[in-house]
Amino acid sequence: MRTYLILKPILVALGIIAGFGYFFIRSRRLVHLMCRAPGPKNIPCDRLFERFKVFFTEILLQTRVREKFLPGLAHIMIFFGFIIVLPHTIELMVAGIFPGFGFVNIVPGIYGTYAVIADIIAFLTLVGLAYGLFRRTIIRPAYLTDGPDSRLILLFTAVIILSFFSYNAFRVVLHQALLQGFKGYYVLSYPLSQLLRLESLGRGNLILGLEISFWIHISAILFFLVYIPGSKHLHILAAIPNIILGPLEIPKPMVKSDLEDEEIESFGLGKVNQLTWQNILNLYACTECGRCEEKCPADLTGKPLSPKRIIMDLKADLLCQSAEKPDAIEPIVRNGAPITEDVIWSCTTCRACESICPIHIQHLDVILEMRKNLVLMESRFPRELQETFANLEHQFNPWGFSAETRADWCDGLEVPLMTDHPEADILYFVGCAGAFDERGKKVSRATVNLLRKAGIDFAILGPEERCTGDSARRAGNEYIAQMLIESNVATFNRYKPAKILTGCPHCYNIIKNEYPQFGAAFEVVHHAEFFSELISAGRLKIDAAMEKIVTLHDSCYLGRWNGLYNAPRSILDAIAGVQHNEMERIGGNGLCCGAGGSRMFMEEKIGKRINIERIEEALATGAQIVAAVCPFCNAMLSDGVVECGSSVAVMDIAEILDAVT
Amino acid sequence: MEKIGILIETKDDVIKKTNFGMISQVRGQTRGLCALVMNAKGSLYQEQLQAYGIEKIIDIATGEGPLQWNPVAWAGAIISAMNQFGINTLCGLTSALGKDLLPRIAARLDAPLVMDCMEIDLVRHTAKKSQFSGKTVATIKVSGHHYVFGMRPNAAEAAPQPCESELIAYHVPAESPDLAVRQIKQDAAQGIDLTEADVIISGGRGMENAENFDILFECAQVIGAAVGASRAAVDAGWVPHTMQVGQTGATVNPKVYIACGISGSVQHFAGMKTSGLIVAVNTDPEAGIVKNCDYYMVADLFDVIPVLTDRLKAAVEDN
Repeated sequence: MRTYLILKPILVALGIIAGFGYFFIRSRRLVHLMCRAPGPKNIPCDRLFERFKVFFTEILLQTRVREKFLPGLAHIMIFFGFIIVLPHTIELMVAGIFPGFGFVNIVPGIYGTYAVIADIIAFLTLVGLAYGLFRRTIIRPAYLTDGPDSRLILLFTAVIILSFFSYNAFRVVLHQALLQGFKGYYVLSYPLSQLLRLESLGRGNLILGLEISFWIHISAILFFLVYIPGSKHLHILAAIPNIILGPLEIPKPMVKSDLEDEEIESFGLGKVNQLTWQNILNLYACTECGRCEEKCPADLTGKPLSPKRIIMDLKADLLCQSAEKPDAIEPIVRNGAPITEDVIWSCTTCRACESICPIHIQHLDVILEMRKNLVLMESRFPRELQETFANLEHQFNPWGFSAETRADWCDGLEVPLMTDHPEADILYFVGCAGAFDERGKKVSRATVNLLRKAGIDFAILGPEERCTGDSARRAGNEYIAQMLIESNVATFNRYKPAKILTGCPHCYNIIKNEYPQFGAAFEVVHHAEFFSELISAGRLKIDAAMEKIVTLHDSCYLGRWNGLYNAPRSILDAIAGVQHNEMERIGGNGLCCGAGGSRMFMEEKIGKRINIERIEEALATGAQIVAAVCPFCNAMLSDGVVECGSSVAVMDIAEILDAVT
Repeated sequence: MEKIGILIETKDDVIKKTNFGMISQVRGQTRGLCALVMNAKGSLYQEQLQAYGIEKIIDIATGEGPLQWNPVAWAGAIISAMNQFGINTLCGLTSALGKDLLPRIAARLDAPLVMDCMEIDLVRHTAKKSQFSGKTVATIKVSGHHYVFGMRPNAAEAAPQPCESELIAYHVPAESPDLAVRQIKQDAAQGIDLTEADVIISGGRGMENAENFDILFECAQVIGAAVGASRAAVDAGWVPHTMQVGQTGATVNPKVYIACGISGSVQHFAGMKTSGLIVAVNTDPEAGIVKNCDYYMVADLFDVIPVLTDRLKAAVEDN
């Protein structure tokens, strides 16, 4: 006994040094990978109040985690339980080396309160863990990664909490004298000791029980510590910085590659050593919860892409190749690698993954950069994009219609051109679909009608207008995209419009969020938003009813990329007679039509068609009209309707409004 | 003195029609036109080739028989024949085969290469090709010891000019150590290559099923047209993807394009908008195709196409 008492502090100290030392070595390698990463080096420490707000809502209140109610609740219990036992663990470690140490002696009052809270929350943690095990063994959602790693983490956490209780139970009985005033505070540990009749054990057995609990607890904590850096549970270290240091706004531009810089040898993301430190932090933070996979339209319809897998595979690739010299690092897309071209091209860039991710992982940042690398460096892209790229380059529209005929859609409408009317209040940016697609032309004409009804002074660019570059940029062709962007930027800067109105969410997004990168920052408004304001202002009078059941399909680039969900709904709500039935997946949860990310111009060869999946959902609402706010959605949904043998009308919100004003 | 070799492309032992246009275009600029035939069936083609003014037919084969398709071996065999017969200018078609073969030959001969030519001047060593989606025509002048030109299919009219020809067998080794062709897979496309056709009859969702496409094939056969399809028909599995016309399929520019039961989405129109004449048959007068065609018929294609087939048959027989 005496020998044990002499040896214990030494063993504990050695254990702590070994555990923390090994943890430090393993973590240092991870930090080193982030430090040596190329790209911006600065750590965002601006806008502290907003970052604190994110900390409060996303970490303390766990807002996104709670979007799945039961798993969210379980996570909160485990998260706070883990935090709450930490002071106790520290106390044990210190007391292990310096016997007699106890917070109870230093701050008895606070310790009492702590004991109550810790006891209760630690118990809830067990409940949370039990639910976690139940979910992994009985419910088994397909999107959840299950394996020895996640089971081991559940086990570690459970052992830590159980040993916390058993230690307290033994202690409260053993140190009756010391803790006399406190046993009431151990609201669960003390009844546990009574339940187990620990008092009937002899003092020797009680000490043995206490010491065993101590060692189990300390060992579990130290093993866990060592285990963390190599497991998905790195999440507990990386998630919080990832959330706080991540982007604060919903809209975000794609990375602008400096194509003029002759020093740059590679564009986009081709190898893991080209990941930025924020990309890497994203990888570390992922805990493989699979919520992104569950929402991904590609995964949902049997494509090889899962946003979760991309993150996991990149992390594995990063760690696997971290010791290699830069020249020896293999490309991410290589023979036998899990990330294939099909994976990268399956993405519709709908951003459902990012919107749902509880820890704000930016999947699109890596996917879009990988596309850029494949296109600019390897010239590898789906064959059908060749035509689109060539058309964009030569005729400034994806279909190759003569650029000179861009204003032909408004023949007979007498729409003024900016060259003739440069002081117009509104520059109406029609977009390629609005100018060339027969279906889109109808929407453009409806828009013109509405603008006239509201007495708006507007003009179009006509042949001066070019594709905004969205399709090329999202398809990785930064070169053609920048060519188009720069030409439009020059045109905008020549006219300096007060406001730009777009009919296409893709035009809207890129002009609003990415043109400022190229020196054109103008106010941009999508027609749904604009007409909704005109209705509120009384400038557009709805004078007819529409006795129809309507369902609204959210556009990803208006919604998830820009947070605009209400404008089209408020238009529908303003029309008498319209019965607005919502689909199941709406708003941030809405399902993509399948055309985003330039998928419009690629074949969808694998799995179920995304537009069919979506239109089936729309038809299930009993709708007679499916309302869209994007020409690409309109095309995809119209195709879906015919394919499903239905005769439901797909109409743009402008067409619906035009019919009742 | 230029010596010209023309690489003859065949399909199922028949010379592709578009070769004769190419021969007609380069003929007359120089004497002693050689044709290079790659399937050991030179004698089969002798009559046809001499009708278009070919004077020498070089039948390239191994000792055992035809040289199996292998771009590296073929390029080697052609270069060896060119050296043997003093050919310094090679003309081929900018077809799938030509795109694989001609650049290899040019690279190995260190010869200038112009693909997709509309017109070749073998004396001045210039070639005309269309640029910027047909908005401009570039005249490209090249110089070197050897020249390789790829002619755009259907760019020139075929005009016969009979002469006497000589058939020469030329033997090459069978194997290429650099590349082995394991398997050639082709979708079950029928008939004429879409991109090379003068007339295309396409079917869309209005075809209703795979069997109904026979109506189009029957009509196409009468006038040597190709059969195409819209994405909807391909998606439905009625016809293979090789028949798809449009943004994500083949881009075609026939003289006549007949669209049957095709609504004419912008994606389809993008693939055939450069057709000389577009005729639409559709029951829906509001279909997008109606606004983008030269003639349209609001009618059921199942009524119209069989009648068209009969009339065409009668007209062909009368001639």
